[in-house]
Parts: sequence; structure tokens; C-alpha cells
Amino acid sequence: MKKLILVLGVVVAALSFASAQEFKLAKTSGRLEIYIGRVTVEGTTGNEIIFKSNDTRDREEDDRAKGLRAVNGSGLEDNTGLGVNVNDKGNIIEVRQLKKMNSPRIKILVPKGITIYYDHESQYGGEVKFRNLENEIEVSANYNSVELENVTGPATVKSVYGHIEADFSTNIKSPISIVSVYGYVDVTLPLATKADIKMSTSYGEIYAAQEYKIDYEKQNDALVRYDNKVSGKINGGGIKIDLSSNYGKVYLRKK
Amino acid sequence: MEKEKRESLLIDYIEGNLKDADRALIENEMEQNAGTKKQYHQLKEVMGLLNQTHHIELSHSLQSNFEKLLQQEMASNKKTSKQISITPWVLRIAAVLVLVFVGAVIMDRFIEKQEHEKEVAAIKKELNDNKKLMMALLQNQQSASQRLQGAMVAYEMNNSDDDIVNALVTTMNEDTNSNVRLSALEALGKFYRQNHVRSALIKSLSTQKDPVVQMALIRMLVKMKEKEVVTQLEKMTHDDSVIKAVKDEAHWGILRLI
Repeated sequence: MKKLILVLGVVVAALSFASAQEFKLAKTSGRLEIYIGRVTVEGTTGNEIIFKSNDTRDREEDDRAKGLRAVNGSGLEDNTGLGVNVNDKGNIIEVRQLKKMNSPRIKILVPKGITIYYDHESQYGGEVKFRNLENEIEVSANYNSVELENVTGPATVKSVYGHIEADFSTNIKSPISIVSVYGYVDVTLPLATKADIKMSTSYGEIYAAQEYKIDYEKQNDALVRYDNKVSGKINGGGIKIDLSSNYGKVYLRKK
Repeated sequence: MEKEKRESLLIDYIEGNLKDADRALIENEMEQNAGTKKQYHQLKEVMGLLNQTHHIELSHSLQSNFEKLLQQEMASNKKTSKQISITPWVLRIAAVLVLVFVGAVIMDRFIEKQEHEKEVAAIKKELNDNKKLMMALLQNQQSASQRLQGAMVAYEMNNSDDDIVNALVTTMNEDTNSNVRLSALEALGKFYRQNHVRSALIKSLSTQKDPVVQMALIRMLVKMKEKEVVTQLEKMTHDDSVIKAVKDEAHWGILRLI
């Protein structure tokens, strides 16, 4: 039995080694700009940015392409072997995909202290995930759905058509702004979070956890109100949080 | 017979001042009219009482008593007033007291004024500090979060000056981050009564490209009842680069403005 487990372990290690193509870049500060259709970004305690292929299926090997390099209209070179081009400009590191439509599944591990910027306009893309990060995050998307999990912020997230889910950790940092036009905005905060919170929607609804005692501010301007807008303090106020969706719903949960 | 004439004749009759002709007339009237007879008795009673009161008022002893009392009272008053006005040390103390009081009032006013000035200075300083902080944050090109924080600080300011407004307008029009532009727009919305804010918002409508900001801006201009933007909104509804949600918002706005 023990032998079997050992053998299995070795096989698994070998397999993962075979598929784990990696590209590393020693950085602990600066700005990582990601222009890929889908991506998973995770925090790491190391001091280099690591790009990994996140494909679950093995890539189809093309025997005919052996010894050749991939060439495409963007003029970018696959300098990582992962289907993306990484351009190190010193303080700014740009990551771009080579194919226009099919973006490779990439996982990027990012050390603390590097600002993460994600920008994708094309409708050919998928979900972008940010996990276990203490970095500042900026997301500007059109079609992508965005998921933030166990992040501290600060975070500015926008997606026009995609929904946005965010689950913040206890050492949450100001400011946080999450907006969508068509998608829902679903945010989970630690119960003790002290925040000045603004939530608004034009055609959707707003839901908040019972436990949050929101001291609503009186709106005393003379303007006519067309939208559903709520602003107030939770736990006495502090971190600035703006949540808004024009057509989608806004959810505020506790954990 | 008229009522007034009858009454005057009756009064004269009771007092015995009537000529023979009038007396015959009134006696005749009393014979024929029971009402006049009754009135005669009432008047006689009243006049009798009046005469008695006369007697009481003119009572000699009462009058003299009253005069005596009055003189006593006047004499005693004179004595007490002399005591107050003559003693000089009382006057001095009073003067000192008055001076102290006036001094205290002046001091109080002075302190109050100083405190007021201090308060004004504190408010000015706060505004200045907030302004400095906000400007520094808004101009941080490295970090969108810092710029966002700057716009959010501006949103909480109740007063603005030209520097603040200009910085916010620049951010609203030129910042690379949509969330930051949106926040700057919201902060400017608080000062919508200022004319240059109004015109900056109107001008911005033709330059904004992000749907999130476009929609928020349309909503704000409609709330402000800014009819000037109707043509611009109509243009947007025909613009192919504008997404459906924004076109819908422009239609919505036109319906509310015209």
C-alpha cells in the first residue's frame, strides 16, 4: 500500500512538472498591467512574479510546429511559452495575450507591494479572479465577470456587462469602489468593518445583511431623486466603500 | 314723545327745574303712559343715590384725614431719599461695581470674539488641510486608489473654492480610471449650483466615453433640469459608439427634460 502511494506521488509530481510551465520575474514593487481575456491572480509571499499555465487539459502538441516560433498580427512574441507576452518596462510590467479571441488560462502569483491593474475591453474573455491579495487592485472590464476573494483592497473595479463578487478580508483598506452597468454587485464584508458606505442602483434593488446597522444620512439637497441611493455609516464609519449597479442588484453581506 | 326729550324733561321735573307748561306736559305723559311713569321712578331712585354719594365724598372728616395721611407720607419719603443721595462712599462703591460690571461685559465680548475668530480660523485650516490632502491625492498618478480617495474626500467637503472645483473637473474629464472619474463627478454634483460647475458638467457630456460615467452624468444633468443638453442627448441616441444602456438613459433623460 505504502509503495503504491509513493509511486502515485511520484507520478503526480512528474505530471505536474511536465505541465507546469512557468515564467518568473523578480519584482517586489511597481505595477503589473494585465491585458488578458481571463486570468487568476493570487498573492504570494515570494519576491518574484510567477506566470503559470492554468489549463486543465493538456495542450495539444503540434508536431509540425516543432522548431518554429508562433507569429501573430499583434507583433508580440510568446516570450513565456504560455501564450502570453510579458514586457518588463522596469516599474511597469505588461502582460498581453497573443491570440485575439482565445485567451490562454493563466495564473499569476504576485508578491505584495505590486499594484495589480487589469484591463480588457474585448467581449472574448471570461472570468477574472483575484485571490488572497493584499495588493492594490484596479480592474477595468467590459464583458468580464470579476471575482475578488480574500482581498484587502484598496480596490477600484468596473465591469459594464459582467457581474462583480467581492469578499474582503479583515484588514480591509480604503477606498473601495465597485460599479457595474448590467451585472450584479455582491460584496461580503467582515461584520466589524467600520465604513462610510454608499450603495446605489437605477433599475435594480439593494439588499443588505440584517446585522449591519446602517445610520442613513439624510439627503437634503433640492434635487429630484430618480434612483435608489443609500448612504450611511456602519460601525461608526471609516473605510470608504461605493457600490453601484445601474441595472443589476447590489448585495451587501456579512461574514 | 321722543325718548331723549322725555328723559331730559323727567330729570328736570325731578329736580324741579321745569316751566309750568313742560311740567303739565310731563305729568300728562306720566298719567297716560305707564312706561314713562316707571322710568320716572327709576330715574328718581338713581338721582337720589347720586345725591347720597355726593354727600359721602364731600364728607369733611374723610377729606382732612386723607390730606393728613398724604402729608405724612410725603414727609417720610423725603427723609429716605435724602439718606441715599447724600452718602458718598455708597456712591463710590456703586460706581466701582458698575465699572467692574461693564469691564466684565467688555472682556466677555472680547473673549467671545476671539473664540469666534479661532473657530473661523480652525474651519479655514480644516478646509485648507482637506484641500491640500485632496489635491495631493487627486494628483497621485501612480495610484488610482489614492485619486479615488481624493475624490471621496472632496465629496465630503461642504464648501468648495475654484481650486477644488477645477481639480475635480480635470479629474472627471481626464483621469484614466472610470471609478475615479465617477467619484469626481459625484463630488462635483454637490456644487451643482455654481455656474462654472454646471457648465463643466454640460461640457463633459460630449467627452465622456465610459458608460458608467456617461449614465451617471446624464442622471445628474436631468436632476439639475439642464435643458441645454437635450440636443447632445439626442446625438448620443444616434451614436454607434454609445452602448444601449447609455442610449436608453439618454432617451430617459430627453423625456424628462422636454
